[in-house]
Amino acid sequence: MDLTEKLVSGKGNFVDDINMPGMLHLSFVRSPYARAKILRIKGGITWKDVDLKMASVGEGATKGFEYLEHPVLAKDYVGYVGQPVAAVYADSPYEAEDLAETSVEVDYEPLKAIVDPEMSLTAEPMYPGLKSNLLADKYLGADFEIKDAPVIIEDRFVNHRIATDPIEPRGIVAAYDGNRLTVWVSTQSVHSLKEGFCEIMHLEPESVRVIQTDTGGAFGLKGGIYPEYIVAAYLAMREKRPVKWIETRREHLLASRPGRGVVGKMKLYADRTGKILGIKGDVIVDSGAFAGGSGEFSARFIAMQLTGPYEIKNAYIHAMSVLTNKVPQGPYRGAGRPEAAFFIERMVDRLADELEMDPVEIRLKNATTAPYVSPTGLTVEASKPFLESAVKAMGYHDHVRKGNTGFGWFVLVPATMPGETARILVDGGTVKVWLGGNAHGQRHDLFVRSILSDELGIDPSVVEWQKGDTDQLEDGVGAWGSRSAMMGGSALVEAARKLRKEVENKYGKYSPQKLLEGKWDSYEFFHYDKPYNNLGANLITVHQDDLGVIHVRECISYYDLGKVLNMDNVIGQNAGGCAEGIGQTLYEGLMFDENGQMMTSSIADAGVVTADLVPRYKLLLHKSESSLPSRAKGLGEAPTIGTPVALARAIEVATGLRIRETPINPEYLLSAKKFH
Amino acid sequence: MSNLKVSITVNGERKEAEIEPRMLLVHFIREVAGLTGTHVGCDTTNCGACTVLLDGRAVKSCTVLAAQANGKKVTTIEGLSKGENKLHPVQKAFVDKHGLQCGFCTSGMIMTSFWLLNKKRKLSEEEIREAISGNLCRCTGYESIVDSIQEAERRMDESEEYIEEEIPARRGR
Repeated sequence: MDLTEKLVSGKGNFVDDINMPGMLHLSFVRSPYARAKILRIKGGITWKDVDLKMASVGEGATKGFEYLEHPVLAKDYVGYVGQPVAAVYADSPYEAEDLAETSVEVDYEPLKAIVDPEMSLTAEPMYPGLKSNLLADKYLGADFEIKDAPVIIEDRFVNHRIATDPIEPRGIVAAYDGNRLTVWVSTQSVHSLKEGFCEIMHLEPESVRVIQTDTGGAFGLKGGIYPEYIVAAYLAMREKRPVKWIETRREHLLASRPGRGVVGKMKLYADRTGKILGIKGDVIVDSGAFAGGSGEFSARFIAMQLTGPYEIKNAYIHAMSVLTNKVPQGPYRGAGRPEAAFFIERMVDRLADELEMDPVEIRLKNATTAPYVSPTGLTVEASKPFLESAVKAMGYHDHVRKGNTGFGWFVLVPATMPGETARILVDGGTVKVWLGGNAHGQRHDLFVRSILSDELGIDPSVVEWQKGDTDQLEDGVGAWGSRSAMMGGSALVEAARKLRKEVENKYGKYSPQKLLEGKWDSYEFFHYDKPYNNLGANLITVHQDDLGVIHVRECISYYDLGKVLNMDNVIGQNAGGCAEGIGQTLYEGLMFDENGQMMTSSIADAGVVTADLVPRYKLLLHKSESSLPSRAKGLGEAPTIGTPVALARAIEVATGLRIRETPINPEYLLSAKKFH
Repeated sequence: MSNLKVSITVNGERKEAEIEPRMLLVHFIREVAGLTGTHVGCDTTNCGACTVLLDGRAVKSCTVLAAQANGKKVTTIEGLSKGENKLHPVQKAFVDKHGLQCGFCTSGMIMTSFWLLNKKRKLSEEEIREAISGNLCRCTGYESIVDSIQEAERRMDESEEYIEEEIPARRGR
């Protein structure tokens, strides 16, 4: 049975499916307050047992801010609702949950929570010794003055926080044999988790093995390491018994790092022909209560992308990440890219309205005609020819004539650096493959088969893609940031070519038969330390019904993907990403009250889209070459960047209301203002 | 509270056990019957990953007590395939039409589809989308799932083998 046949038969191996003799089940006591002093903790595993601080590993990992590191278990202070304070364990999960409610007493002294990121800028510092609540404070570009600009537009936009909400929550099983810690985990990167365990628990690399289980979605959530994993490992080592922890959905909403949560304050200068003369802006990331999420990184990453696919000569952006009494922000599919596109594309649409020009005409006027590096550091190829073909291929003008159409485009900045690893093991006629990044629903098996059947001339059916295992592949990066087919694919191509050479050297000539008869082991770290950006565009049409409800009618993507390694892969990534983009735009949000209590209580409240709310998706390909060995370009995050901007504009056209926030739910539409 | 004795027929096999009265059906299936194909995604009847058939009716087993299933018949994803290598047309269609990516929602999605196709044929796309709107998928954007269900319907129409016992209508909507 291959992987998908197992999954449709209920024979997958997800982390919660693992059962071992003598296994203990872990449950957590979490803070009910957004901000409080802890006066006393009685019972359970506490900081006295595990007095460790979290390390920052995975996507957007940042170093520094030692005294703001997230404690594994809270000591004398809690900074968000859901923060782990104590842990309990039992032979069954039911008993463990009972113990969490009955066996631990915590006395808190609640403090006034800082919930709003903009208010946090002027609030008293959250921790003693801090001068402000800024975790990151950088300026990108150069300050400029444009006297008497004919058009100046200022606006403020918000992408509210959203839960990553993979259908499989987080989970881990840890075991210890007296020498070595082995963990089975649902993850995007066994390598970043291993690094995290070693750094946090002061373990030697050879004493830790991380094995990936079937991973039921991740979307950024499962690239890094979490406090619960450390407690599971600690307990397994202390008790010398296997320990399992599986997150509940409620815990996921409260205590798993969410994405977005960014405010953009923009100022745009233009002349009356529609030429953009410059932009200024503040990016304010709602980072949460501790360092080590992706918050510190994402502010400047968003700021860097604010010039979009445009030739904007003047740009000056203040990138800020601020402390708030919420769980630390993390990456969610797109991770800074959708926010940047939302802010600049909303401004360009405002400019079009101001000058009563067609939005695409304005975009063509400002597109780059040669490769360009913007003042904020964004690398863009000549974007005008791409835009011209997108407009034509998507039938933009016909759609506009029919009405309620929104268009948006963007530069996708895949996380290329520092490259990726791959290993090919040929033995007994089968070809096993490990990639340094671990698939969590992207079906890497499909492109892996396509690449190896092309490179090695073998039947795809002998290729077996393997889940991550640090004992099988010595190092690796991770599956995030639209990088797997580009970087993992390139490492795989190079490893395959090396293998081909080895067969050639031994037999004088390469043949698939010779390869499959032998035993071969090929490893490659494909190093890459530059950006490799590509362009994408989305078009959406909507219908507003008599009750005011927005329905998405058409969702068209036009992307430059280089070579399509596997069409099913590409279709799947586009479709899933479009649904998530529609979700963010119309439904998804984690809402907090003024005390920092989350008002979103279920996955339904959190707004994950259902099948009846999304249309069929159309994907059109822009023909181009990629110079990478895999011949691929980035894709995974593209639809989550382009869909929200196109959809926001389509709603603007349909309703006449100015759209400044996501989610654009009925409450928001009732509060939004007419713009013409 | 004292334990309860229950007898539940899971995929044709009678499972008797003494359980806590609060035990959920999904945990009975996963832990007592040892069938881990039925997944827990949300605990609140929203995601549908735990969907099974209870006396032929699609239910979300995370909000049914095992005690409520006493004396009844449960069909799980493992009960669909006939023998080791014979996938049901619904399962096969999900493989062929890429109706899954990470595979976590898949068991529930297939059980809902199986129930739907046994209840009604000649479904419009809108009816299919409505019927699976209680099952969440975060990877596929649903399009390939709709395609899989349409493909499964064609294959079931072609084969007499897959006319199941009577499937009652779902309560409520």
